Amino acid sequence: MVFRSEEMCLAQLFLQSGSEYDCISELGELGLVEFRDLNPSVSSFQRRFVSEIKRCEEMERILGYLLREIQKTHIAVPEEDESPLAPPPRQVLEIMEQLQRLEMELSEVARNKEKLQRNLLELTEYTHMLKITRTFIHSRSRYEEFPTMETDSVSGCTGMQRLGAKLGFVSGLIQRVKVEAFERMLWRVCKGYTILSYAEVDENLTDLDTGEISKSVVFLISFWGDQIGQKVQKICDCYHCHLYPHPENDEERADVLDSLRTRIQDLNNVLHRTEEYLRQVLQKASESAFSWVVQVKKMKAIYHILNLCSFDVTNKCLIAEVWCPVSDLANLRGALEEGARKGDATVPSFVNRIPSSDTPPTLLRTNKFTSGFQSIVEAYGVGDYREVSPAPYTIITFPFLFAVMFGDLGHGIVMSFFALWMVLTEKQQKKKRSSNEIWETFFSGRYIILMMGIFSIYTGLIYNDCFSKSLNIFGSAWSVKAMFTNQQWTNKTLQTNSLLTLDPNVTGVFTGPYPFGIDPIWNLAVNRLSFLNSYKMKMSVVIGVIHMSFGVVLSIFNHLHFQQKFNVYLLFLPELLFLLCLFGYLVFMIVYKWLAFGARDSSQAPSILIHFINMFVMQGKDLAPLYPGQTGLQIFLIVIAMLSVPVMLLGKPLYLYWLYRGGKGLRRRRGYERVRRVSEDDTSAAASYEDDDEDEGLDEMPGREALPKEFDFGDVLLYQSIHTIEFCLGCISNTASYLRLWALSLAHAQLSEVLWGMVMRLGLRMTTRVGVVFLVPVFGLFAVLTVSILLVMEGLSAFLHALRLHWVEFQNKFYHGTGLKFLPFDFSLLPSVFEQDGLL
Amino acid sequence: MAELSFNKDHGYLEGLVRGMKAGILTDTDYHNLAQCDTLDDMKLHLQSTDYGKMLSSSEEDLTVSLVDSKLRENLVTEFSCLRSNALPPLSTFLDYITYSYMIDNVVMLITGALKQRDVAEVLPRCHPLGAFDQMAAVGIARTPTELYSAILVDTPLARFFQEAVSDTNLDEMEAEILRSKLFKAYLESFHSFCKSLGGATRDTMCPVLEFEADRRAFIITVNSFGTDLSGADRSVLYPSCGKLYPEGLQLLARAEDHEQVKAVADCYPGYKIIFDDPEPESGCKTLEDRFFEQEVKLNTLAFLQQFHFGVFYSYIKLKEQESRNIVWIAECVTQRQKSKIHNYIPIFK
Repeated sequence: MVFRSEEMCLAQLFLQSGSEYDCISELGELGLVEFRDLNPSVSSFQRRFVSEIKRCEEMERILGYLLREIQKTHIAVPEEDESPLAPPPRQVLEIMEQLQRLEMELSEVARNKEKLQRNLLELTEYTHMLKITRTFIHSRSRYEEFPTMETDSVSGCTGMQRLGAKLGFVSGLIQRVKVEAFERMLWRVCKGYTILSYAEVDENLTDLDTGEISKSVVFLISFWGDQIGQKVQKICDCYHCHLYPHPENDEERADVLDSLRTRIQDLNNVLHRTEEYLRQVLQKASESAFSWVVQVKKMKAIYHILNLCSFDVTNKCLIAEVWCPVSDLANLRGALEEGARKGDATVPSFVNRIPSSDTPPTLLRTNKFTSGFQSIVEAYGVGDYREVSPAPYTIITFPFLFAVMFGDLGHGIVMSFFALWMVLTEKQQKKKRSSNEIWETFFSGRYIILMMGIFSIYTGLIYNDCFSKSLNIFGSAWSVKAMFTNQQWTNKTLQTNSLLTLDPNVTGVFTGPYPFGIDPIWNLAVNRLSFLNSYKMKMSVVIGVIHMSFGVVLSIFNHLHFQQKFNVYLLFLPELLFLLCLFGYLVFMIVYKWLAFGARDSSQAPSILIHFINMFVMQGKDLAPLYPGQTGLQIFLIVIAMLSVPVMLLGKPLYLYWLYRGGKGLRRRRGYERVRRVSEDDTSAAASYEDDDEDEGLDEMPGREALPKEFDFGDVLLYQSIHTIEFCLGCISNTASYLRLWALSLAHAQLSEVLWGMVMRLGLRMTTRVGVVFLVPVFGLFAVLTVSILLVMEGLSAFLHALRLHWVEFQNKFYHGTGLKFLPFDFSLLPSVFEQDGLL
Repeated sequence: MAELSFNKDHGYLEGLVRGMKAGILTDTDYHNLAQCDTLDDMKLHLQSTDYGKMLSSSEEDLTVSLVDSKLRENLVTEFSCLRSNALPPLSTFLDYITYSYMIDNVVMLITGALKQRDVAEVLPRCHPLGAFDQMAAVGIARTPTELYSAILVDTPLARFFQEAVSDTNLDEMEAEILRSKLFKAYLESFHSFCKSLGGATRDTMCPVLEFEADRRAFIITVNSFGTDLSGADRSVLYPSCGKLYPEGLQLLARAEDHEQVKAVADCYPGYKIIFDDPEPESGCKTLEDRFFEQEVKLNTLAFLQQFHFGVFYSYIKLKEQESRNIVWIAECVTQRQKSKIHNYIPIFK
C-alpha cells in the first residue's frame, strides 16, 4: 500500500454577481479549495473590493478599541462554541452602525470620565499644595526676616515694598526629578531675586498628562518685580509645573480648603456613577463582541479572496481559479449551489475543470493521530505532488527507532502515562488555549509521545531494563546450582575466587534461551556490558540496513508512478544491488553467525569484522571460511556491487541522451490513453522527459512544443554523478550512522544505572530505621532526576536522533520534499488579529 | 582588538539595528507608494511594510503633517529603544546624534521667539529627537551669552557654546550664525570623539562626518551670496574637520558666486559630481538633493562593516531620509503633482 497526496485539479469557478459573496462564504466554511491570484499585476490598493476591506478594517479598529476597553474593566468576553457565519452584505451596514454608535458613546463617556478624573486630580493637587505651603509661610515668618503675607497685609510696608517692588508668589507642583534643574535655572535666570521653598508630597500622585504615577514636589516661589515674574512664569511653563493660585491669608486658605473638600467629594460621586454606566455599556457590548470579531474576520477574508478573482468581459460574473482535490469536486458544486441559493441569484454558479501544466499543491489528509507524524515529515520538506509519502511508515518506524535508543520499561511506562493523560484530557486542554509554547509543542505531539512510550515499554522488555534493573518474569535460564551438582564448583571455589564464570557447556547450567528478551541473569554479570554491546551493535546494523533498503524499495513506486520506467533499471536496481551486496551480505553474516554457532563451539566463532574487511581486500585465504564457497560468493557480490556503480553513474544520462537524439523508448507507446493521462494527471518536473518520449512519433511535425527544455548532457551527468557519489558514500556512512541506535541506548542504560547506583542505592544501604526516613528524600531526588534527565533530556536527544535517522538516512533514498503545501481557504485556519494581541 | 569584546556590550544593539535596517523601504515599496492616488492608499501600502499599523490607529483625518509626525514618532521610539539599552561609549555616541537635532531645535525656538510666536506653537514643530527639558525656556534669552549662561549651561550643548558666546542681540541672522557656530563646534567634537574611538568606527564615521562638515561649508557659502556676510565672517563658520580643510575652505571663503564654488568643488573628486551640471535625464535636482543623495550613499556603506557604531548613525540618517521621501511622496500625492513624485532619493537600490 502506497500513500500519496490527493489528486488535485485546477478548476474555474464562475460566480454570478450577486451570489459571489455567499459562494465564497460557503467555501470558506468548508475549506475545500485554494484560490489562485488572477490579478498579480494589480497592486493591493487598486483592486476591486478595496473599499469593502477598508470598511472591515475600520470595524476591526473599533472592535479593537472596544475589546481593549472591555479588558480594562476586567469583563470576560463570552465565547460561543459555534462560530457565526459571515454576515450577508446587507447586514454589514447594521453592524457597522452599531459599532460606530457604541464607539461614539464609549469615547464620550471615556472623555467625560477623563475630564472628571483630571479635575479631581487638580483638586487633590491643589489641596496638597495649600496644606504644604502653609507650613512654608509659618516657618518663614518664624525664622526668617522675609516678608510673609501676614506682615504684608497687616503692616503693609516692608523693606522691599519701600523700594517700589511688588512681592509676588507663584506656587504649584512639579515632578520630583525635575526640581534640581528647575531650581538651578530659576536662580540663574532671575539672578537670585527669587526664593524657592519646596517640600515633597507624601502621596504618589498621578501625572495629569501622562497618567504615570510619580512623586511630586510642592514649591512656593516668592519674587520681586513683574519682569522677574514673567520669567518665573515662563520657566514654570517650561518645566511643566502645575500652578495654582496662592491664597492671600489663612482665612482664605481655610475657605478654599473647605470648598475643595466638598468638590472632591462631589466629583468622586460623579466619577463613580460614570464608571458604573461605562461598565454597563461594556457589559452589553461584550455579549456580542465575540460574534462581531468572527464575523468581521470572515467578511474581510471573503473580500480578500474576491480581490483575487478576475471579472469576465461582460462583468456579469466573477471568475476564480482554484486548486481543488478531485474527490471534493462534488462538495464544491454543492457549496456553490448552496451559495447561489442564499444569494438569490437567478443563474447558478458553476465549476469548470481546466487543464493545467502547473504543479498542483500537495494535500495529505490527516487526522489528529497522523498529523503529528505528517508534521515530522513536513518539517523536512513538503512532499512533491503525488510522491510516495513516508508519513504512514513513520508512524511505526519513528517510535520504534526512538524506543531502540530509549529502551527502558519504567521510563516507557512513565512516558506513556503522561501521553495518555494528554490524550484523554485533550478536549479540556484544547479549550484552555495555553500560550506556553513549550507546552504546545508537547501537546501537539501527544500521540507521537504515546507511541514512543508504548514502543519503549516493548524494547524495555526486550532489553529487560526497568529503571536499570532487570525483571525476572519467566525465571532465568541459567542455573548456578548446576555448577555445583556437576562438581565443577565447591564451596572453596566460592571463597577463593572473586569472579566466577558460568560454563554453559556444563549440563543443566544453561537450559535454553530466555523466552522473551535478555536473560535477567546478565544484570548480575560483570561482562554484561560487552555482551550487550555486541548484541546492540549488530542489532543497529541489521535495523539500519533493513530501514534503508525499505527506503530504496519505496523509490520504485515513485519511478513507476511518474512513468520513468528506465529509472527502475538504471537507478533503483543498481542502488538496491549495491546496498544489498555489501551491507545486506553483512546482515546475512551476522544472522548466519548467530544461527551457526552455539554455546559449544563459540570459541571457534570467527570475527565478522575481519571477514567483512577481507571481503573487500580479497584476502584471508588462511582464515577458516564461515561456510563452504564463501570466497566465491564474496567475490561475486563485490563484482556486482562494483558493476552497479557505473550503471548508476552513466546509465540515466546516456539513456536520456539517446532519447533526446531520437531513439525509441524502452516501452511502446499506448496511443491516446497515455497522452491523456499525462496531460490531466501530473506533469511534475521529471515527467517532462516523458513528453519527449511521447512525441517521438510526431517529431517530424513542425512546431512541436513537447521538447520542453534544452537537454544539457553535462548537467544531467553532473547531477547524476553527484547522486551516485552521494548514494555510494552514503550507504557506508549511513550504515555507520545507524550505530547511534547502539550508542544512545547504551548511554541511556548506563545513565539510569549510574542514577540508581549513586542515588537510590544510598537509601537502600542504610539500616531499616534510618533508611525509612532517609528513603523519602532520596526517592524524591531520584524521581526528579529520572524525569528531568532521563525522560526529558535523554528523551529529547533520542527524539532528535530518531528524527535525523528518518530525515537523512531514510528519506533521502526516495523522498524529494520540494512540493508546495495545499493551503485551503478556510475560515477556521485564519488567525485573528485580536487573538494575537491577547484581547480575546 | 576591540572587535573581540564588541559583541559583549553592543552586539545586541548592532543586531537590532541591522534588523531594523532590513525594514527600510525598498525600491518596489517606493514604486508602489508612488502609484498611490490618495493618502489612504499610502496608508494601506505602508501597512504591509515595517511601519505596520502606524497610521491606522489614528482617528483623525490623514494629513501630510500627521504622517510626518507619526514617522518622527516612529523614529524616536526606535532611537529611544536603542539609547536606553546602550552602554558607554555607545551611549555617548548616540547622544552625539541627538545633539544636532538639539541645535536645530534651539535655533528654531530662538527664531520663533523673535517672531513673537508662542512657545506652545513652536514646540510641537521641534524634532523630538532633540528634545530637552529646558527647551521651552529658550525664548527667554536675549543674547547668546544669556542663552548660554542661563539656559543651555546645563544641557549637553553647553560645550559647543564656548566659541558662540557673544553679546550681540539675537536677530534672525544672528540665529543662523549661532546655528553654524554650534554645528561647527559640534561636528569637530563629534569627529574627534569618533577618532578617539578608533577602529572601524573611525573608519566609517570620519568620512561621513567629513562629508557633513564640507556640506555645511558649501551650503553656508552658497547661502551667504547676497547677504552681508563677508568672506572672513564665513570662514569662522566653516567646520574644520572636513576634507576641504584648510585649502578648500580658504578658497571657499574667497568665493563670490556659484561658479567659483564650483571651481573649488572641482578640485575634490567627491564633490565634483555634486556640482556638475545635471544630466538631462536625471531631471533638475537641487543642490540639497544631490548632497542628500551623496549622504545616503555614504551611509549605506557603513553597513558593509561589522563591530562599529557607524551603523547606528547611518540608520538614523537613512531613516530620516526615508521619512523625507515618504513625506515628499505624500505631498505630491495630496497636491496631485505626479510628475515630481519620483524625485525621492531611494536608499537601498
